[in-house]
Amino acid sequence: MRKRRAMTESALSDLRVLDLAGETGVYAGKLLADLGADVIRIEPPDGDPLRDVPPFFHDVHAADHSLTFFHLNTNKRSVTLDFTKPQGRALFERLVKSADIVIESYTPGYLDGMGLGYDGLCKIRPDIVLTSITGFGQDGPHARWAWSDIVGVAMSGMMTLAGDKEDPPNRPYGNQGYVCAGIDGAAGALMAIVHRDNTGEGQHVDVSMQEALSINQETAMMVFDMNQRVATRTGARGLIPIDLPGIGVFECKDGQVFAYLGSPGGAPWTVMLDWMIAEGKAEDLTEGENLEVVRQLNLRFLTALVQEPEKLPARLKVLSHMREVFQRFCLSMDKWTLYQEAQKRRLMIGIISTPEDLAKNPQLAARHWYQDVQHDHLGETVRYAGPPYRLSQTPWTMRRRPPLPGEHTVEVLCDELGVAPAELDALRAAGVA
Amino acid sequence: MSARLPLEGMKVADFSWFGAGPICAENLARYGATVVRVESEAHVDGLRSVQPFATGKTGYNVSGYFNNYNAGKLGVTFNLSTELGREMGRKLIRWCDVFVTNQTSRILEQWGYTYDDLVKINPTIIAAYQPMQGADGPHKNFFGFGAVLNAITGYNNLSGFPHRPPMGLGTNYPDYVINPGHTLIAILAALRYRKKTGKGQRIELAQIESSVAPLAPAIMEYTENGRVITRNGNRLAYASPHGAFRCADNTWQDQPEDRWVAFGVFNDAQWQALVEAMGAPAWAGDAKFATLASRKQHEDELEANVTAWTRERRAEDVMTLLQSKGVPAGVVQNSRDVLTADEHLKARQYYQYLDHPETGRAAYDGPPFRLSKTPGTLKTPATCLGEYNEYVCKELLGMTDDEIAEALVEQALF
Repeated sequence: MRKRRAMTESALSDLRVLDLAGETGVYAGKLLADLGADVIRIEPPDGDPLRDVPPFFHDVHAADHSLTFFHLNTNKRSVTLDFTKPQGRALFERLVKSADIVIESYTPGYLDGMGLGYDGLCKIRPDIVLTSITGFGQDGPHARWAWSDIVGVAMSGMMTLAGDKEDPPNRPYGNQGYVCAGIDGAAGALMAIVHRDNTGEGQHVDVSMQEALSINQETAMMVFDMNQRVATRTGARGLIPIDLPGIGVFECKDGQVFAYLGSPGGAPWTVMLDWMIAEGKAEDLTEGENLEVVRQLNLRFLTALVQEPEKLPARLKVLSHMREVFQRFCLSMDKWTLYQEAQKRRLMIGIISTPEDLAKNPQLAARHWYQDVQHDHLGETVRYAGPPYRLSQTPWTMRRRPPLPGEHTVEVLCDELGVAPAELDALRAAGVA
Repeated sequence: MSARLPLEGMKVADFSWFGAGPICAENLARYGATVVRVESEAHVDGLRSVQPFATGKTGYNVSGYFNNYNAGKLGVTFNLSTELGREMGRKLIRWCDVFVTNQTSRILEQWGYTYDDLVKINPTIIAAYQPMQGADGPHKNFFGFGAVLNAITGYNNLSGFPHRPPMGLGTNYPDYVINPGHTLIAILAALRYRKKTGKGQRIELAQIESSVAPLAPAIMEYTENGRVITRNGNRLAYASPHGAFRCADNTWQDQPEDRWVAFGVFNDAQWQALVEAMGAPAWAGDAKFATLASRKQHEDELEANVTAWTRERRAEDVMTLLQSKGVPAGVVQNSRDVLTADEHLKARQYYQYLDHPETGRAAYDGPPFRLSKTPGTLKTPATCLGEYNEYVCKELLGMTDDEIAEALVEQALF
């Protein structure tokens, strides 16, 4: 019989999750674990492929060194168990009895073939919430197609929008297909739990990575639906057909910033000019037609410009000159100064952060966002990303470093399920645990 | 099939705009919540003025950008720059279970809708705020929107080809899943907690924190290994070849259209399958392509050889052939493909078509996840500006006809 855990100040501490997911769905379990759920990662005794994903701590390629695994498995426990073997399966079924949610990312049909799909799990635990996070979802002609992150972002329609027309479409960094599918998987599991809380009824949650990513097309889908136009990638210039002063990527002393001057809600170009004057870097923007353009430059001015072709060549010359002066101004400053000083003036300029910049971001530091976690087996602390959200009553917490392979096998199987130590030894000898 | 959706009976006051807030609230509506979306002629959601517009139509109600994130909601126009409008907003706050906003703290202070204000009106409220940088810290008043946030949070530096400037992903990426999706998780967790304890709470999703969190491995490369990585095109350390490969051009509206297929080879079996699919060309037998490590060493040449093969073929044909051999492959689809060609999305009826009074029939993004017994659906198309003023004021807030008339005269309903 399952044991109810005591309710502490955590939104999900009464939930047990079995995490069978590969790369596609593993973020979902982390999200639930970080909000307090007891997430048990079931790993194959001969090694979890996720532990082979680079980068590695101090570049040591070993099962307990994958930084990607670390990031995605905080607060989880690890049990090594081969549930494809009969003895392992019996134990797995006992674990399912104690579980509220199972998360998996196998090819649809695989678990059904073993009698451990949704129907099979229901026989063991009638109100189970099975969350399946896969490339294409549980049904449809591509359901059993092979997938990886790039296949999801390609098929979703978002990849064709990224990059320069001369290059292949760009895949976003960081397995964003897996990230988005994982987010939707965690949200779907919780939505199903809300329903179970209301009615006692469990269900099957189906997340398709392709579908999860579709909304990242921004307006492209609606542009075709409404106007029968196909949006495609436009590179650094974005949708604006001319080079505008203060819009786009600009070099500074030690890196780059992204500027969007004149955008709604931000300060106008005149504020930028005042700053340039104060720094002695305005050059001739304070004079004649240059000043006239600086004073008028906004989206309405640009729209009008396109409608007055006779004025266009002279205006474009001024705009191009302003861009050069602005670029020289940026080059005289370092990226953090430029970013922070611009923001003080409500000028829309953002630092183009490198990973080092993210690690050193003063805002994240002031909010104590990063979490240092002791890893005894490494003899060091490792710095982790902090909470995506802060809940005042039931905060995101870092309670437990990611597990070593099978670190909690004894705790879960022997202490909680009552498997005798000798029996576990036998299972281990047989390669089942 | 259960008739009752998970969030039926739940009341949401959606004081958000643009992407991150409205998308989150739309998903609450999809699963049964009653969502009132507050705008005003004096403070219109900027997306109502952004393309695309239904062909031949103008006005606030025909933007596909706005409409896609605001179906299933009851739109009202409460002018929050008037005291009466703010009072009506407070009535809505008293009425609701969940409050969602991605307005800046400056505006929320003007309106009197900070969390401290809200709990005085509704002590058990779940209030979700989505500030750019968070409510405290040296950058708390920094502002921006998705395009700048992409840069600040690292996506731009890390994505794209190394010989190009960090131009980003062509969209305001974190606005659409990362931030609204994380917010939805937090709200559902808070709802559960409230059901058990009767306590509400404040949720703060700082968009910078939510967006940076998924990039952790790149940051750990720096903090743990001292290495600053940057964008590397479509290549991946543990797969080769891995990328988008050009296929035969297509013709669309009498113009050539470039077509691409994306795939990755993660192990020897997939490499053998790719070689077989290509008809075992002589170059593929060279020892320099035999292992992942050696393919990584000769990746430029490898990609050129693979492209010579794909360039002669339709992207769809390469995808189907590779899939038949177990290689994960997909066409780099565009919006026409996903709406009209993709048989799989069609079979699953991913896009939901709704009849809108001003745009006519239009496509909406479907559910982010499917629940087998309580499938979510958008019951109504995007709300027009102020479409439900009377219903919400009368039926939900209990205002009398006289009060509504006064609100109209005072331009509080505006």
